[in-house]
Amino acid sequence: MTTERIVSLGAGAAGLTSTGAGTGTPASGPGGPLSYERGGGAELATQDMVLNIGPQHPATHGVLRLRLTLDGERIVTCEPIIGYMHRGAEKLFEVRDYRQIIMLANRHDWLSAFANELGVVLAVERMLGMEVPVRAVWARMLLAELNRILNHLMFLGSYPLEIGAITPIFYAFRERETLQQVMEEISGGRMHYMFNRVGGLKEDLPAGWLDRVTAAVTAVRRRLPELTNLIFGNEIFAARTRGVGVLSPALVHAYGVSGPIARASGVDFDLRRDEPYLAYTELFGPGGPGRVVTRSEGDCFARFSLLREQVQVSLDLAEACVDRLRSLPPGPVNVRLPKILKAPEGHTYAWTESPLGLNGYFLVSRGEKTPWRLKLRSASFNNIAVLPELLPGCVIADLVAILGSMFFVVGDIDK
Amino acid sequence: MAELPGKGLVHGLKVTFDNLTRRSITQQYPDVKPDLPPRTRGVIALFEENCTVCMLCARECPSWCIYIDSHKETAQPSEPGARERSHNVLDRFAIDYSLCMYCGICVEVCPFDALFWSPEFEYATTDIADLTHEKDTLREWMWTVPAPPAVDDGAEPPKELGVAEKAAARVRPRSEEDARSGPEAGA
Repeated sequence: MTTERIVSLGAGAAGLTSTGAGTGTPASGPGGPLSYERGGGAELATQDMVLNIGPQHPATHGVLRLRLTLDGERIVTCEPIIGYMHRGAEKLFEVRDYRQIIMLANRHDWLSAFANELGVVLAVERMLGMEVPVRAVWARMLLAELNRILNHLMFLGSYPLEIGAITPIFYAFRERETLQQVMEEISGGRMHYMFNRVGGLKEDLPAGWLDRVTAAVTAVRRRLPELTNLIFGNEIFAARTRGVGVLSPALVHAYGVSGPIARASGVDFDLRRDEPYLAYTELFGPGGPGRVVTRSEGDCFARFSLLREQVQVSLDLAEACVDRLRSLPPGPVNVRLPKILKAPEGHTYAWTESPLGLNGYFLVSRGEKTPWRLKLRSASFNNIAVLPELLPGCVIADLVAILGSMFFVVGDIDK
Repeated sequence: MAELPGKGLVHGLKVTFDNLTRRSITQQYPDVKPDLPPRTRGVIALFEENCTVCMLCARECPSWCIYIDSHKETAQPSEPGARERSHNVLDRFAIDYSLCMYCGICVEVCPFDALFWSPEFEYATTDIADLTHEKDTLREWMWTVPAPPAVDDGAEPPKELGVAEKAAARVRPRSEEDARSGPEAGA
């Protein structure tokens, strides 16, 4: 696209108005009135510039490529080009049995591996009509919440880093390390836990593990204010994020945006409360520690601060799970499976509240030991799809702030 | 009263200053080895003596990174007129760690307890081909396999325990019978 248009020098930098920045209104087409001020007159003829950000670029994490059309510093259009990390996970699912699928499923979003495994096994268990032992349910929920904290801490560290605040990531990673130690102790993995099995968990909890979880959760809770004090009052950070990249609830609904990003725009939707799986009914019921955090602003700062509060909620949920696990009577954490596990003919859709949003698996089985089709609905794909609506009208400098606040994992986009 | 400009920055710097006065948590890795939990999935070790070449691990591996070669050997019959006994002999057992996804399915499916996880992790190479480890290396890693951790009080007793108890209960009456019938037979 090479539309000739009249732009002054430094149009983006000099002519900043609040109407153009971050409201999601695209700059008007050629010849029409522009939604932002020109810096110094309309004499100079310029051309739109096409700028590729990615697939290898420090401003994007991973291999997301954005093709931007720029008018000076302003973004006119944005086209996310995805697929650089496409591994054909859905097709690979079709030639793997249900245990092998867990291994693949925990890899598409490597920051929420446990949540991904959970979706698969929930789908298969529902197909089989399998009853999962109660200890496994609570242990799964505990691990899922710890995984959510790990995921959110990653973004609580990496987002300020993208904007230029280097320090918070060290604090976030210290907390991550504390929690990862307990995750490693139970599952043996630090990222790809591979701990879910159809019908429960792989192994029982190690002796004394619950005490160490409590200690880790307490330590993270104690030190979390440090992370808050580091960045949340920071004037520079606020200037870069407040009022930038405002996402309207209408866009959230139109693009199927979910998770923390949707809730930061005031869309009060959380599957843990609205369509509970595992035993979330109890935790999100009256008197339970669970609550759905929402914000109304919908800007980058709201999305970021929502993560911070969700960590707090997840810490409460994790503690409640530990308490429950202590009081449960002894029992198994898995059920004995047949040598060859076959899901009966039929289909089901299991969706869970993954840390980044809705994570759904549509499982179609023809009674084989592999699924006939396992459609993956990943959160980041939909969350990133809204970028062409969000970015036009913004300046390039805000692109990094907005992109970072969309909290995505490229593997989750490209599957 | 208007807020002082830069108050948030000072707040952040205070956190940095507080941490400056505390002990650092640096791990002295190459000098001090990390204390890894026994379930850590570092490397897969092979207890070669237990392997019967049933090929379950190689078949169940989602990334097909286990290579097994074997041949059959027939042993001489133990007594004249008896059938010849044949058994599998393991020629090659290799795991290509450049393909391995560290899922542990092979360890899980092995019916003869020949595969184990070890927390050992220092086997990085400069050439990807060197990541295919043969059975002698895999056997050496067996020495680094830790004992499994004790499980939570709420856990069910391991099924091996139940099997062993049942077997013991089955054997005991017969041995008592043997003890009773033994002297009579001799008389």
